[in-house]
Amino acid sequence: MESGILELYVLGDINPDDKHQVEAMALQHPAIKAELEAIEKSMELYAEIYAIEPSENLRKQVLNSLVTNLGDDRNFKPSHASAHQAKVIEMTQQKSVNFYKYAFAACLALLVLSVATLFAVYNKLKNTDSELVTMQLQTQKFSNKVNLMDHQLDIFRDPSFKIIKLDGTPKSPKAALAVAWSPAKQKVMIDLGRMKLPANDDQHSYQLWALVDGKPVDLGVFNAVDDSTGLIEMKSIARAQAFAVTLEARGGVASPTMANLVLVGKTE
Amino acid sequence: MSRKTKISLTEEELVHALRHREKMAAEALYDMYSASLYGVIVRIVIDTAVAEDVLQESFVKIWQSFASYSSEKGRLFTWMVNIARNLSIDKIRSKDFKNQTKNQELENNVTFIDEQRNTVYKPELLGIRDLVQKLKPEQKSILDLVYFKGYTHVEAADELGVPLGTIKTRLRMAIQQLRKSFN
Repeated sequence: MESGILELYVLGDINPDDKHQVEAMALQHPAIKAELEAIEKSMELYAEIYAIEPSENLRKQVLNSLVTNLGDDRNFKPSHASAHQAKVIEMTQQKSVNFYKYAFAACLALLVLSVATLFAVYNKLKNTDSELVTMQLQTQKFSNKVNLMDHQLDIFRDPSFKIIKLDGTPKSPKAALAVAWSPAKQKVMIDLGRMKLPANDDQHSYQLWALVDGKPVDLGVFNAVDDSTGLIEMKSIARAQAFAVTLEARGGVASPTMANLVLVGKTE
Repeated sequence: MSRKTKISLTEEELVHALRHREKMAAEALYDMYSASLYGVIVRIVIDTAVAEDVLQESFVKIWQSFASYSSEKGRLFTWMVNIARNLSIDKIRSKDFKNQTKNQELENNVTFIDEQRNTVYKPELLGIRDLVQKLKPEQKSILDLVYFKGYTHVEAADELGVPLGTIKTRLRMAIQQLRKSFN
């Protein structure tokens, strides 16, 4: 009794063995029972001194949960009301977790979609870019051609130019070449577009000559290629009685090899 | 306060009515003991919303397991306050609760709460309250740790750095003093 075990018993701070022992003793000895009751009453009063009134609406809530309980005792589940509340909290948590899960999935899907779209657009842009380059090249080519033709047209329109047709020699009867010559401007052009000459090889080139008072004057070399077009300007000359073309060693020679004469045409 | 007068019965009447699962018994039980139990619970869990949850759980448990109460083993309140204290301790040791705990000095809780809240006004307790104030501080702190904070006397000895025997003696002296005050 003096050990304080009765106090600990009342405070619930006791192991099961000691608890049973105290209960047994209390049954046998009324004095111990009375002592216990005195301690209990003291603690009850002590709790009453420190009592705090819970909020008004809690009374109804608690009594409702007890009465629900009363109506259906057999199906009672411990702490029914709090279990219900806990469930609600759990569901809202679940909801928000789900929300973030779905939001994350949506973000991911959006990202994949965006990357795919970006890739497609990039490819399209690349195609368009190369098409644009092709078209610009074409435009360039056309404008070059137009410039060239403009230039040619200028020459043909120029009344000072004479067109002299050079005809093939017996050695090359099918050969033909047109030379545009302006004595006033001392300009000589040959029209590669209308040229008919066998293609020369790498070791040879054609050479144009002017015959001035019976002497041949070098007017420069040119090559005959299958698809050559346009006009080339040769060296200038003011006076000439005839033009002639010979096939010579590449780069040209000082005086023409008459054996290789392919074309000749008089100016008068 | 809108509520009508509280129901009050003798302990014998109440126990009898509870055994017969009378609705009125539930009301009487709540009216007679809710404030005392809440005072203990709120001092352990601190948070009032949590304390109200625990109070409700306590009443449900008391109501449900009333068959296991025997008046031979002690007074009704002793049995009930042990249920409420154990549920409170379970609550503060639960994972949920630990996540939301605000750290407060344990020793300060009892006075802290009393400063914050209006305790129940009962004229007949006025004199006794004064007498309780006369408890020696070292006795009262141990009593409050065990009774209001749910410490075991072993934990209290640890917390206060006092030998186990001294704890027991001080507890006993404190309760003796209370008994003298209440008689």
